[in-house]
Amino acid sequence: MSPVLDGFAVVLEPVNLLYCLVGVLIGMLVGVLPGLGPAATIAILLPITLGIEPVTAIIMVAGIFYGAQYGGTVTSVLLRLPGEASSVVTVFDGHALARQGRAGTALGIAAIGSFIGGTLSVIALTLVAPVVAEFALDFGPPEYTLLALLGILLVATVSSGGKLKALIAAAIGLLLATVGRDGFTSTERFTFGSLSLADGLDFVPIAMGLFGLGEILYTLEERHRVVHAPTTVANVWPSRTDLRQSSGAIGRGGVLGFLLGILPGGGAVLASLAAYALEKRRSRHPERFGHGAVEGVAAPETANNAAATSSFIPLLSLGIPANATMAVIFGALLIQGITPGPQLVTEHPELFWGVVNSMYLGNILLLIMSIPLVGLFVRILRIRPSILAPITVLITLIGAYTVNNSVFDIGLVVFFGVIGYLMKKLGFDPGPLVLAFVLGSLLETALRRSLLMFDGDPGGFVTRPISGTLLVLFLAVALAPAVRTAWPNRKKPFDPSKETV
Amino acid sequence: MQNRLRVRRRIVAATTVAATLALAGCGGNVGDQKSEDDASFPDRGITLLVGQDAGGSTDLTARAVADPADSDLKQTITVLNKPGANGALAAKELAGAKADGYTLMVFVGSLSYITPLAVPADEAVDVNDYEVVTGLSQDDYVLVASAKSGFKTVKDIVDAKKAIKYGTTGVGTGSHLSQALLFSQAKVDATAVPFDGGAPTLTAVMGGQVDVASIQLGEAQPQIKAGKIAPLVTFAEKRPSYMPDTPTAVEAGYDVPVQQSRAIVAPKGTPKDVVVRLRTAFQKAFANAEYKDFNTQRLLTPNEVDGPTVIDQWTAALKKYRDLTGQYKIDLSED
Repeated sequence: MSPVLDGFAVVLEPVNLLYCLVGVLIGMLVGVLPGLGPAATIAILLPITLGIEPVTAIIMVAGIFYGAQYGGTVTSVLLRLPGEASSVVTVFDGHALARQGRAGTALGIAAIGSFIGGTLSVIALTLVAPVVAEFALDFGPPEYTLLALLGILLVATVSSGGKLKALIAAAIGLLLATVGRDGFTSTERFTFGSLSLADGLDFVPIAMGLFGLGEILYTLEERHRVVHAPTTVANVWPSRTDLRQSSGAIGRGGVLGFLLGILPGGGAVLASLAAYALEKRRSRHPERFGHGAVEGVAAPETANNAAATSSFIPLLSLGIPANATMAVIFGALLIQGITPGPQLVTEHPELFWGVVNSMYLGNILLLIMSIPLVGLFVRILRIRPSILAPITVLITLIGAYTVNNSVFDIGLVVFFGVIGYLMKKLGFDPGPLVLAFVLGSLLETALRRSLLMFDGDPGGFVTRPISGTLLVLFLAVALAPAVRTAWPNRKKPFDPSKETV
Repeated sequence: MQNRLRVRRRIVAATTVAATLALAGCGGNVGDQKSEDDASFPDRGITLLVGQDAGGSTDLTARAVADPADSDLKQTITVLNKPGANGALAAKELAGAKADGYTLMVFVGSLSYITPLAVPADEAVDVNDYEVVTGLSQDDYVLVASAKSGFKTVKDIVDAKKAIKYGTTGVGTGSHLSQALLFSQAKVDATAVPFDGGAPTLTAVMGGQVDVASIQLGEAQPQIKAGKIAPLVTFAEKRPSYMPDTPTAVEAGYDVPVQQSRAIVAPKGTPKDVVVRLRTAFQKAFANAEYKDFNTQRLLTPNEVDGPTVIDQWTAALKKYRDLTGQYKIDLSED
C-alpha cells in the first residue's frame, strides 16, 4: 500500500493542490457551457501543460474531465439542455423538479450523488483497477451489440409519456442514426450529397434542438394562454426525506456506473440510462418518474460520475483510451514523455497514484464549490422568461457551433427545435428519440462487426460466454411484461426476480 | 483558453486595420492603402484549418508546428478544427477561402491518395487543386497480431492456411488499404472488420476479437513493448528508426508501402512570395527543439520537403494504389 500513500504525498504538494482546483474549476465551467466539451478544452490547453510537471499536468487535465460531469447537470436541470448523452435522462426529473421550484433540490442531490459516485469509483479503482481492466478487453462487438439492444429496450421504459409514443420516437431516433457515410462500405446514406452530413448527425445539435429550443418555442406559445408562474424558486437544499429517498438510488447508480464506465464507448450513456430504469422499476410509485422524482436525478447523476472516473481504468492500466477525452489525455501523457500502457503503474507509480488520489480531493473540492454555486445557479430561474429565453437560445446556438465550428450545425439546431416543438405539442417525449439515436449507431456498427467476425452466423452470439449471458438477460427483460400479462395477480406487481436490469 | 485569446487578438488586430483604413479614407488620402505590399506579409493573424477533431494526431501536429511558426511570423496562427469526411469538409472550405496566405490547412495525404479509391469521384479531393506550402511528417502503419493468434510473422499467417479477420481503423483508411493489399498479395483469405479509429482497433486486437490489425506506430508501440501484441511488419518505405527490428512489408516480399503523410497547404493561386515566406517560417519551426521532441514522442518521421515534392509523392502514391487495387481487384468501398 505504500505507493498509494506516496500518491497522497504527491497530491498534497501545494502546486498539485492548486492545479487540481484550477482543473475542476475549468471543468465545471466547461460543463455548464453546452457544446464545448472537455476533450476540446484539454486539447486547447495542451500547450500550457508542457511547462509543468507531468503529474501536475495530468491532475489538472483529469480535473477538467470529471469537473465537466458536475457542471453538465446545471443546464440539464435549469434550462433543459443536456450537454452530453449521459445527462439526457437527468433532464426528465431534473427539469420537472426545477419547474416545481425545487431546482436547488435537484442540483443539490446531483452534487451529492456525483460526489459519492465519483468517490466510490475512485476507491474501487484503487483496489481493483488491474483486475477489472482485462474485463474491458473481453467486451468485443458481440457484447456491445447486446448491451445496445438492452439499452434500446430500456429507452421505452424511461419515458414519461405513453409507451406507443415512446416507441415511435425511439424508431425515429434509430432512423436518424443511419444518416451519414456508411462506415463499412462508405456508401452515402441520406446525405443528399452534402459533405456536412457525411459523418452523420451529431448528438449535440439534436439534443439542443429537441430539448432546449423546442421547449422555448413551446413556452412562447404557452405564454399566451396561462401564465406559467415560475413558482417560488426557493434555495432549497435537499431535505432529509429527499436524501433518504435517494440513498438507494445513489448506491446502485454508483455500482452500475463503475462497472459500465470501464467499457470503452457508450459506457456512461448506458450507465445513466440503466440506473434510471432500475430505479423506476424498483420504485413503488413508478408514475412519479418524469414528474420530479428525486431518485430520477440521483441515480443517473451518480452513475455518470462513477462512469467518468472508472473510464480512467482502461487508460491508466492498459493504455487504451476509452473515449475522446481519454484519447486527448493519452496525448498529454505522451507529450510529457510518459507512454501510457500496461507498465504505467510499475514504471511511474507516483504518477498513477498521484492522479488517482487527486480524484478524492477533486471530488471534495467540487462538492464544496457546488454548495454556494447551487444557490447562485438557481437564481437564473428568477430571471423573467422574456430575458432568459433569448439568452438560452444564444447559448444553445453557440454551443452547437463550437462542437465542430460548423454553421451547418446551427441550422440543424433550428430544424430540430421545430421538430421538438411539434413533438411537445403532440405529446411526444424527445428523450427516447435522442437516446435511441445514440444507441442506434452503437447497435448498428457492433452488430455488423459481430456478423463479420462470425462469418454471418448469428449463432456466435450464443456461444460467447458474456454475450450469451447478456442475451438471456435481454430476453428476460423483454419478455417480463408479456409473462406478467399472461399470469396476472399471481404475485404482487413487483416480482423481485425480474428486477435484474 | 489560449485559442480564445488568440481569436480575440485577431479581432482586435482586424478592427485596428479597419479603423486605420477608415481614417485614411476620411483624410482624403486616395493613395492605394491595400497595395500588393507582400513585404509586409503577414500583417494579421493566420488561420490554420484542421479537418479532424481536436486532440487527434493531425490536430496535435498542427498545434505543435503552429506554436514555433508563430514567433517567426510575429503573428498568431489560430488552429481551427472543422472536422468532417476525413478532412474533405475543411478542404472544401479552404478551396473557397481568399488566396492570400491567411487561411491555411493541415492536409492529410490519405485524403488525396486513399479516400478517392473509396468515395464517388465527385467527392474525391485532389491535392493539385491547392498550393502546397510544405510537407510535415509521415506516420507509419505496423501490422500487429493478437497474443491469442500466435502469429509472429506474415509467413505464420500464410502457413496457417486458414481464414483470418483483420481490424482496420475505418473503411478507406491507410490501415484498410495496407492490409487489403498485403493479404491479396499473400493469397490469404481475410475479412476486414472496420472499427472507428485507432484506439478501438487496438482494443479489439488486444482482446483477440480480430487476429491482426494495422495501426499507426505511436498507438501500437506501448502495447508492443509490453508484449501484449506482436509486430509482424511495418508498411513503411524503409524501416522507421523507432522500430528497427521489425521488417518492412517490402522486405517480407510484398509490395505495399502505405503511410499517412501530412502537409500544410494554401488555396490555389496564393502569391509565390507569400508561400515562400510561409515555408521559411515553418522551416524555422521544424528546427525548434520542442517540435522535434513532439515528432519523437508521437513516433512521426519528418518529411519536411517542399511543395512540389509533396505533390510528386502523393500523385505517385495515388497512381500506385490505383494500379495495385486494379491488379488485385480490391474495392475499398465494398468488402
